[in-house]
Amino acid sequence: MDFSEQKDFEINTTSLREIRDFSRNIFDRSKDLSSKKDDLVLAIAEAAQNIVKHAYNGGPHTDKMRVRISLNNNDLQIDIFDKGKPAIPENIKPRALDDIKPGGLGTFFIGQIMDQVVFKTKKEEGWVNHLVLTKKI
Amino acid sequence: MTYKVTEEGNVSTVFLDGEIDMDVTDKAKEVILPLIDAGKEVHINLKNVSYMDSSGISVLIESHQKAIEKKTKVILKEISKSVLKVIMMAKLEQILNLE
Repeated sequence: MDFSEQKDFEINTTSLREIRDFSRNIFDRSKDLSSKKDDLVLAIAEAAQNIVKHAYNGGPHTDKMRVRISLNNNDLQIDIFDKGKPAIPENIKPRALDDIKPGGLGTFFIGQIMDQVVFKTKKEEGWVNHLVLTKKI
Repeated sequence: MTYKVTEEGNVSTVFLDGEIDMDVTDKAKEVILPLIDAGKEVHINLKNVSYMDSSGISVLIESHQKAIEKKTKVILKEISKSVLKVIMMAKLEQILNLE
């Protein structure tokens, strides 16, 4: 069944759990998505973590970020918006896996789980960054 | 996340519980790294960890690397299915000590 749900979250590390709970709840209600729930929640949480870590230098901040999860004809789309430091997509690269060091894995995980990861250049009103994660279900 | 530490000889076992994300990694490091610094062999029991993201994986990597530096070791024990999946996604199953 098609749907679109969104929620705004505070910019801080405590929100990461709330984002996971919000996402799990949505995926649990969809028979098409429940079996992929753990991976999808990880992808969303990693993207949200990158916002706190990089767009807001670790936070906290009074701004909000928005997570929107939509399913339309077996196309899952996750939109994540923030008003932090503008992302420079060409600088966001997963680290090489043979470079064993703490950090830098989040972007790699997102790429492993989702089919496509893009920063939209045409922003929705008021937002600075708009990350779009898509996956064929 | 909650934790418990048990000691037996030179082995310290850290039982982690709950979800490990960026919000709790400092706490996890505060528990694990001093044990390694003290030269202990550290076993991290992950049986009750229901979720771990890249921040948690970073703690495992940092602990592993510090143990090598201190000429001791960190062994991951009873790894939950969800954590193992993330370790394997990061292709770390050949790097970290898994039991």
